[in-house]
Amino acid sequence: MLTSILNIFINLGRRILAYVYFMGGLSNLAVQTLFWVFIPPFKKNRILEQAKKAGIDSFPIVSLVAFFIGVIMALQTAYQLQRLGSEMYIASIVALSLVRELGPVITALVVAGRFGAAVAAELGSMQVTEQIDALETLATNPVKYLVVPRLLALSLMMPVLTLYADIIGILGGWLICVQKLGISSSMYLHITFDALLYKDLFTGLAKTVFFGMIIAFVSCYEGFNVEGGAEGVGKATTRAVVTSFIMIIAADCFFTALFYFILP
Amino acid sequence: MIEIKELSKSFNSHKVLDGLNFEIDKGTTCVIIGRSGCGKSVLLKHIVGIMRPEAGQVFIDGKEVNKLRDKELDLLRMKIGMVFQGGALFDSMCVGENVGFGLIEHKRLKKREVFERVEESLSLVGLGGIEHLMPAELSGGMKKRVALARAICIKPDIILYDEPTTGVDPITADSINELIKRLHDQLKVTSIVVTHDMKSAYKIADKIAMLYQGKIIAEGTPEEIQNTEHPVVHQFINGLAKGPITETLG
Amino acid sequence: MIFGKSRLELKVGIFVFIALVILATFVLLIGNIKTWASGYKVNFVFNFINGVKVGAPVRLAGMDVGEVKNINLIYLPEENRMKVNVVGWLRKEAIIPEDSSVWVNTLGLLGEKYIEVMPGKNYSRCLQENESLVGNDPIAMHEVAALLKNITDDLDQTIVKIKNAEGTVGKFISDDTIHAELVELIKTTKELVADIKAHPWKLFRKTKEKPVKK
Repeated sequence: MLTSILNIFINLGRRILAYVYFMGGLSNLAVQTLFWVFIPPFKKNRILEQAKKAGIDSFPIVSLVAFFIGVIMALQTAYQLQRLGSEMYIASIVALSLVRELGPVITALVVAGRFGAAVAAELGSMQVTEQIDALETLATNPVKYLVVPRLLALSLMMPVLTLYADIIGILGGWLICVQKLGISSSMYLHITFDALLYKDLFTGLAKTVFFGMIIAFVSCYEGFNVEGGAEGVGKATTRAVVTSFIMIIAADCFFTALFYFILP
Repeated sequence: MIEIKELSKSFNSHKVLDGLNFEIDKGTTCVIIGRSGCGKSVLLKHIVGIMRPEAGQVFIDGKEVNKLRDKELDLLRMKIGMVFQGGALFDSMCVGENVGFGLIEHKRLKKREVFERVEESLSLVGLGGIEHLMPAELSGGMKKRVALARAICIKPDIILYDEPTTGVDPITADSINELIKRLHDQLKVTSIVVTHDMKSAYKIADKIAMLYQGKIIAEGTPEEIQNTEHPVVHQFINGLAKGPITETLG
Repeated sequence: MIFGKSRLELKVGIFVFIALVILATFVLLIGNIKTWASGYKVNFVFNFINGVKVGAPVRLAGMDVGEVKNINLIYLPEENRMKVNVVGWLRKEAIIPEDSSVWVNTLGLLGEKYIEVMPGKNYSRCLQENESLVGNDPIAMHEVAALLKNITDDLDQTIVKIKNAEGTVGKFISDDTIHAELVELIKTTKELVADIKAHPWKLFRKTKEKPVKK
């Protein structure tokens, strides 16, 4: 009885310590990375390479998901607004939801699942095959060489992908409204852009930069801390994706609340 | 000249290195032998400064490695070539980029010069003309030789080998031994080889040291080691299942 | 060694460029509808605006022609009271004569408030940039409620009186004598009518005068 109660506390303590250890390691990596970002030499090519992998290669799946989200949003709001007889507002609801929340978050989740997992697996297998040690022996800082280009590429590509997601999602909503619900095309676009404000667009884009950073730091951290061969790489990849998801959603909640209060 | 003084390191309260003292003279080839997992690779990583010791110091040419600032450490590392156990070639780069990595990153050389140095290094290890291949397309032995080429491409003073002959066939292993000898003779480098392959050790070593329970328990010329009276060393070099090593563990 | 470098640059470049085009399109389209169309600002001065918000539409003769840009309180010393100044932005072609009437109206089911302008007839004097128009006050809900309460109070009193058999109507409803008299009245009237039907000549006879000859 007593031991089982003790075990609960021991378990709790272990988890809290693991969490503190994780957050400490992550912030340490973040600080190191932000330091190395400003240290020359700047190798443009490595950033471009990662930008292609994070951005262009994620584009098809991001646009596919965004398109379906737009269609679903339009159908779902139509279902509710038809009862009120105000289908006119579908366009503004679709546009606002996509540009403010869904576009950034969906893009971040897709990129975390696609590119974040790839980064964790790549760096993880580099870790287990001693390639990261090899980098160090060749007088190359692994953070500078591996994390910085990924961070910069993600910070650049997240807003870019989100813009694509926004426009494609709006296109999906447009397709439903114009083809199925009989709202005129120009009317739809007019209401869409009438409802949107600059702050909706720019707060939506600004937070994706932070989502990109979360993905970069979490994936690289998990990759660097792989232990135990191929199995470890698999575990690290899963952890990277799960942790990124949670942190992205939490950060989004934070930003939405923040923008709600500072930019009413 | 490499000096190691009272070096200690432990992982999860398991002492891997325990007050290790050792010296390696300039221009010699020193082979460190010991069982798998006894901390030979850890020792190498301390020499090149990838790992920080818990206690003790490592001096290279009189400089204490773990007290160097980043820039000085990088300068030092440009004088050390390390050949990892599995090669540790960068998967995302072709052989040419792998071998020339140190030059591309740190030396302001023209592309032509880099090409020439890469070609020279590769032909030294007997692998001319494979610059464009990816590491995934190479066999295990080729990977090790490319890794060796990468280590010598920066023209180091010291080369560290982590089990260079493990996992390759005997013929390739012998050719790698020949290579280590030749590089030592041609480039006049200090070599530290970590291995448990006694045949290789006898062939290349000027000095052999045995690492056991976190300490150097014996060192000497290959002949001295071969004729040792020390029971642990005797068991290890003759590859006997019964003896003091297995008794203490069991 | 450095194969495919220029193609990589090209791809990333095109990818980012298209995103910038999308961004520019967004910015232009959002801005266009909001501010870029040429128009002018006028002030509508109200005593009470019933919760009109910035961004609410302004309608001229029932058509959206602009929106509320700003709302602020002003103090008018000559009237000695606070007023609300609603700054409305109107499209250039929306001309408002000075004798137009302006009031706050409620739109649709969702109850969104907007500024309704009913154009007047005197087009010789129209509102220019930054000129003011005094608005009619919308009836506040509490005023409507007060009015309704007065009416119901009065009705209530009347009904109480009737119930208590006070006043003419009350007595009429509660007093039996009127009923009895009415019944009597109808009875006699019936008899009279029957008599007249039976002897129509009676109508023409002078009852009080006796015939001279008999």
